[in-house]
Amino acid sequence: MNKTEDIYYIEAVRKGDVSAFSFLVERYQSMVYSLALKLVKNAEDAEEMAQDTFIKAFQKLNLYEGKSKFSTWLYSITYNGCISELRKRRIQFSSLEDQRFSDHDEMKMYDYFSETKKEDQEKYLTLALSKLPEDDQVLVTLYYYENQSMDDISTITGLTVSNIKVKIHRARKKMYEILHEMLHEEIYTLL
Amino acid sequence: MNKLDKQFEQLMKGIKLDSPSKGFSLKVMERIQAEAAVQKHVIVEEYQPVISRKAWIILIAAFVSFLAYLLFFEQESSANTDSVAWSAIQDSLQKVNTKGLSNAWQSVNGLFESIPSMAYLIMLASMALWSVDLLLTRLRHSHSEIQIR
Repeated sequence: MNKTEDIYYIEAVRKGDVSAFSFLVERYQSMVYSLALKLVKNAEDAEEMAQDTFIKAFQKLNLYEGKSKFSTWLYSITYNGCISELRKRRIQFSSLEDQRFSDHDEMKMYDYFSETKKEDQEKYLTLALSKLPEDDQVLVTLYYYENQSMDDISTITGLTVSNIKVKIHRARKKMYEILHEMLHEEIYTLL
Repeated sequence: MNKLDKQFEQLMKGIKLDSPSKGFSLKVMERIQAEAAVQKHVIVEEYQPVISRKAWIILIAAFVSFLAYLLFFEQESSANTDSVAWSAIQDSLQKVNTKGLSNAWQSVNGLFESIPSMAYLIMLASMALWSVDLLLTRLRHSHSEIQIR
């Protein structure tokens, strides 16, 4: 096993070695910050939310029972913290309609997109992801990037598994649609 | 995960996560250290007696049962048992105490003649234990507070 298990550091912190918590901060800071940024849309606020996440996690570490992954538990603190903040600001998420992009269109788009340069792929994907509603961005990131299961995402967000399935399905199609539009525009610009 | 999901996952693995500012980890750990100091202080504030409540119950139960034993089962042979232990204590007390103190002792002794003398000793020992408990708790308490400050 390459990475030392989270539980090793958690136990060390519980035994009084506070500095062991820094390994957990290092390991999860990017994902916690990314999730916060997708939700609150502001780098300064996202950093504040990410800091608060780790402080809360430290304060409640004795309540972590190990039933779920530590990352799942940590991301749920992030998500709930950001949602509370957005509620205070009375910000609501929009929802995606059913997409017209068929499975066949997706396959074609995937083949076409795979041919583009890696750096362009990253640029377009990041841009397409940012055009989704905030909570959909979080779901897509957790599911496709972080490999969290539907059940774990349900624990993090409080949404039902069936709801998550629908949202992720729509978000993926929407992203392909956005990528299609962007690449189409690019071709026209070149011509 | 179906085929479409797997294809999309492959694409998504190519993106980079946003990173917080450079000193993020350090800032978090500074706040964590401060939080840990507060938590430690709170733990110290909680009163924890050296002799637990359970131990006290056992001590009192032992004392009461000993008292009962002396009152109900040892009455017949009280003269014999009293004579050995008690006379030794009285002898040593007479050697140490002054005249006034022994007079006071005798008058107090007269008041509580009906209670076996061993009971007094047990009570005395219990009170001494209680005092030590209080003293040790206070010492530990003040020592920890100094460390935190």
